[in-house]
Amino acid sequence: MRRPPAITGLRGAGGIRIVTLDWKPVSWATVVDHYAVYADGTLIGKTVYPHFVHRGLGFTGVTRSYSVVTVDAAGNRSAQSPATAVANLTSVTISGTPIATVGTFDGKGSELALSPKGYAQYPTRFPSDVDYTFGTSTPAADWSYLLPGPADKWAGTKNHRAAFRFDLPAVPEQDLDLALWLIDSHASLAASALLTINGAEAGRLTFANGATKGSTIADSTYPGSPLKPSYLELPLPKALFRPGQNTLELFKDQGSWIAYDALGVFARR
Amino acid sequence: MPSRRTFLQLTGLSAASVALGISAPTAADATPARPIPDGAFALGVASGDPRTDGFVLWTRLAPTPLAVDGHGGMPAGEVPLQWEVAEDSRFRTVVRRGLAIASPDLAHAVHPEVRGLRPGREYFYRFRVGTQVSPVGRTKTLPAYGDQFTFATASCQAWYHGYFAAHRDIARRAPDAVFFLGDYVYEYGIVAGDNLWRAGVTVGPEHGVEIETLEQYRLRYSLFKTDPDLQAAHAVAPWFLVWDDHEVQNNYGAANSLYGVPPELFVHRRAVAYRAYYENAPLALGSLPQGPDGRIYRRYDIGSLARVHLLDTRQYRDPLPVDEADRVSEKRTIMGAEQETWLYGGLRSSRAPWNIVAGGVVLSAVTDDRTEQWDGYPANRRRVLEAMGGAGTSVMLTGDIHRHVASELKLDFADPASRTVGVELVCSSVGSNGDGTDTDMYAKDWLQHPYMKLYNARRGYVHSTMTRSELTTEFVNFPYIQADANAQPNVVARFRTPVADPRLEAL
Repeated sequence: MRRPPAITGLRGAGGIRIVTLDWKPVSWATVVDHYAVYADGTLIGKTVYPHFVHRGLGFTGVTRSYSVVTVDAAGNRSAQSPATAVANLTSVTISGTPIATVGTFDGKGSELALSPKGYAQYPTRFPSDVDYTFGTSTPAADWSYLLPGPADKWAGTKNHRAAFRFDLPAVPEQDLDLALWLIDSHASLAASALLTINGAEAGRLTFANGATKGSTIADSTYPGSPLKPSYLELPLPKALFRPGQNTLELFKDQGSWIAYDALGVFARR
Repeated sequence: MPSRRTFLQLTGLSAASVALGISAPTAADATPARPIPDGAFALGVASGDPRTDGFVLWTRLAPTPLAVDGHGGMPAGEVPLQWEVAEDSRFRTVVRRGLAIASPDLAHAVHPEVRGLRPGREYFYRFRVGTQVSPVGRTKTLPAYGDQFTFATASCQAWYHGYFAAHRDIARRAPDAVFFLGDYVYEYGIVAGDNLWRAGVTVGPEHGVEIETLEQYRLRYSLFKTDPDLQAAHAVAPWFLVWDDHEVQNNYGAANSLYGVPPELFVHRRAVAYRAYYENAPLALGSLPQGPDGRIYRRYDIGSLARVHLLDTRQYRDPLPVDEADRVSEKRTIMGAEQETWLYGGLRSSRAPWNIVAGGVVLSAVTDDRTEQWDGYPANRRRVLEAMGGAGTSVMLTGDIHRHVASELKLDFADPASRTVGVELVCSSVGSNGDGTDTDMYAKDWLQHPYMKLYNARRGYVHSTMTRSELTTEFVNFPYIQADANAQPNVVARFRTPVADPRLEAL
């Protein structure tokens, strides 16, 4: 038996509920069957790519030791690659204090308007897109489960926006945090949206491609759910906010839809 | 006992051809080091890539075909495998014998290349490993001249959508060759209550996910190849195979996945998919992939009757057009520059009355939005039609669409008065899309054109008889395929195509 070479250059990056691993593949001289990926000595998955996303982790950061074994076409296994320690991130939904939220951060979009598959009604239910006021609007009536994009014919092949209004007693002392969780997104056209706070540009949000299933299925949590949830969390500079009503807006001017799990603004403790 | 190296020196065999299961020194020990579990030939036997003096033989040892590691229940290690070719089905007149080494590197598949046979003749072959003997296969060498040549074309065998009545009927008719035009396997997860329509079968959860690793692709081939009618069609005639998209992933092109896998990652998927394809097909050594690349475009001469050009319209294609200007750009290619040059040269240099051009996707013009097929590459199509126009009459064989379609190939599809340079015979699927119906909502897209002479949306295959003066084609379909494999064939259309005046004349 000839042992195939082990991979090199293993590195990881923590995200919300995930750790993304990348490495340098072995040369084409080795016909690879797959790479077996281990966390703390346990097989967590196989992939043919020099890339693996460890999913389904908790919302609180935990450091794990990752390594990779090359399995070749004959079934021979390499030695374990050198290990690398990576932690997933702690979500602001755990570490922060909610100021205003819509939906529940639970992997499901079923509490939102038109869920689980009412997307065709979007143009009639939301002719002027979504305008939601925290405290008076209700998720089931006023927050569409999908935010369509210009690539969506069913939503008129045009840009769409979702405004989220909430009150602040004063300008916050520290930066706030945005949590935007998706149960799924389009598989290749999730693309991006422009984020504004009170009319000021606060960045472009790039969404992970999903499975194009969240337009008809609301639950990403049951075993075997085809949905591919993703999590965006980012700081919102305190200078963008003001006392009284504030408006956070997502402007989907690229690609296709995203399917919400929940959205919220959090204060730091 | 001499070393293997000494054997190689004595016999002039290359180490590569031994390691790859092509040939081995016949003096080598033919006894496996360890006994092979019973049922080693559960995936059948096959032949392919025929020539006037030989062909490629194929088998893959898999006593437990559905072992989840893709190795078919074979112990690790190399296994010597004997093969023999005879002029009769009882092997009274054995004309060639050989040995090949089945290696775990190739999932214990072997591809012996047999040479030195007589042209245009029927042969029988079988394998032996230890005390186990394979089923007998029948095959044929290509003729040296070629008065008449019969062939079947088939494609798109989604095992989970139904039974392979088409293969059963192809096996019954025993043509001189079978063209398989892609989508030999599908990469999708197979799930009961969703896409598993083949009545009375169940599959384990390991089949329920989209395949990605080599072990998963190997397992998928094993699953499909357990079908007895597919095995029978392989065992009855030499096959010419080309791939389309589902041997890798739906609608991929070159290194581009439609499902968001970046190209620098996707090439690794393509590498294992091409590898598993080669391992499971009777292909010559030239088609063994190197890394993420595999050459399957190749050429054969059926005597002086026809030249066969087998195309790869996946590996080298430009991405889907970004706009109309891009779609109609002169630079666009579905074949890649190298393969285009190769095809046009091969058409130009042939003196045969016929050219058989076999590819994965439909050449004829249908609608401008069918950009997955040649409608997305009109400049390349024009160049091909012009090259066809300067050569013998062309017979384009394609599949992909799960419909029977017959079309006259116009030099310029936009000009109905332009010359007809040949015909296109699009075969429906063997399995994909299940039972089907005679017509459907897409029929009008096709039948709007005067050059389209048939549209049928049931499952089936195409059978053709080629002589030096004409081609006779039968489009065969089946009333159902999901319940069982016993449906009776129905000839839905027959056409005659004179070589000197190509057209589709309904019979």
